[in-house]
Amino acid sequence: MSRSERTSFPISVGLRRLLAGGFILFLVLLLFLPRQSQEWLGQMGGPMALILEGPLHGVAAIQDSVGETWNHYIALQHVWEDNQRLKQEIQQLQGEQNRRREQAILTREFQKLSLYQATAPMTTLPARIIGRNASNWYQAMIINKGTRDGIHAEMGVITDAGVVGRVVRVNPTTSVVLLLSDPNVAITGMIQTSRDEGIIQGTPQGNIHMKYLPPLSPVQVGDVVVTSGLTKDFPRGLHIGHIQQITKAATDLFQSGEITPIVDFSKLEGVLVVTSFQPTIADESPLSKEPLPVP
Amino acid sequence: MIIALQIALCLGTVVAQATLSTMLSVHGIYPDLCLVLACLVGFFTNEYKGFMLGLMVGLFQDLLSPGGIGLNMILKGLAGGLAGVTIHTISTVTASAVIIVTLALSLGGGLASLMVAYPVLNGSESLHAISWVLVPQALYNSLLAAGFFWFTLTIRHSLGVVHFIEGRR
Repeated sequence: MSRSERTSFPISVGLRRLLAGGFILFLVLLLFLPRQSQEWLGQMGGPMALILEGPLHGVAAIQDSVGETWNHYIALQHVWEDNQRLKQEIQQLQGEQNRRREQAILTREFQKLSLYQATAPMTTLPARIIGRNASNWYQAMIINKGTRDGIHAEMGVITDAGVVGRVVRVNPTTSVVLLLSDPNVAITGMIQTSRDEGIIQGTPQGNIHMKYLPPLSPVQVGDVVVTSGLTKDFPRGLHIGHIQQITKAATDLFQSGEITPIVDFSKLEGVLVVTSFQPTIADESPLSKEPLPVP
Repeated sequence: MIIALQIALCLGTVVAQATLSTMLSVHGIYPDLCLVLACLVGFFTNEYKGFMLGLMVGLFQDLLSPGGIGLNMILKGLAGGLAGVTIHTISTVTASAVIIVTLALSLGGGLASLMVAYPVLNGSESLHAISWVLVPQALYNSLLAAGFFWFTLTIRHSLGVVHFIEGRR
């Protein structure tokens, strides 16, 4: 089959050449047409552009989505890793900040104790609380000083605020301190204003009672209770707490009161063990320094 | 080697009791981890080992307690021994049996401790101590022991160790 037979246009070769030459001439003339004359060409191309725009937008959308995927998930992979690393750093810094804050609080607590230790009229040994009661029936705590540090049983334990308790068991490097709120601890105390003395003892409920107050004592709610210094473990005048409630039945020989302790036993972290003190009862008296009258 | 492990277990339990008990407290009630340990050893082994380990952990507990040495040692030893005796009387020790036996042992031991620690309590104080400390603590101990027992049993079964409670003594 000849080439002319295969074409669907039954025109001669010469005519086709003529048409091709005319089309080329037309294209060349289009280049040299004035710009205004090309508008009709633009109007003609509008519908054709619509046909192109669909796939173009489609491709652009695919390209955008691929780019977005790349930018957000693949290219930002290292950003995610950076984020994780920064989060870890923040956690580490927060932990370190917390440790430093804790150290600062501890340091402040021990500085207070140290300051009090320097000014208090007794010899004390600072100790840190390393444990609470190992058995359930005592209100006690364990401190990190023992016989090697010169501690022995019956020594008093205080803070800069007031009385904590008494050492009852001493191991080589640890000691067990029974808190003032335990029923097995009893110390002598007195009302600071009226100077009436009594016995201060804990209860199983964790309260502190002051017993055997004189029946005519003018004790009132809110009165401050201090140590009387009559026992060997505490010097006179250490703060114990204040009277919260006074009870006296008609048949009772003595008054008794409930004491709110000045020390919060549940928040203790450091204490001072009273290793020695001079009984200051005679020295405190203004008359004691004057010569006794000779009979 | 086993004795060293037992000593380490006792020391660890007493230290945990002294340091972590505040974390385990529920409304101010602390579990007696030493009693739980003695009972569990009795349940899992026999009365002799329960008694010996109870003596050891009780001794360590006494060293860090305000009371005299001997009370916890005797009570924990008895608890471990009696817990071991139960596996002779019960064919298969279950978690419910652990609860009942530990509850009874904890109540008995707690009552003895209460009488020794606070011998001069009046009626109302004793009632308060029993109802607000002794009984809740015994319940706590028994639930804790049953929990440990069940957990250990589950682990043992999952590892393929069957009938270990009824094993060679």
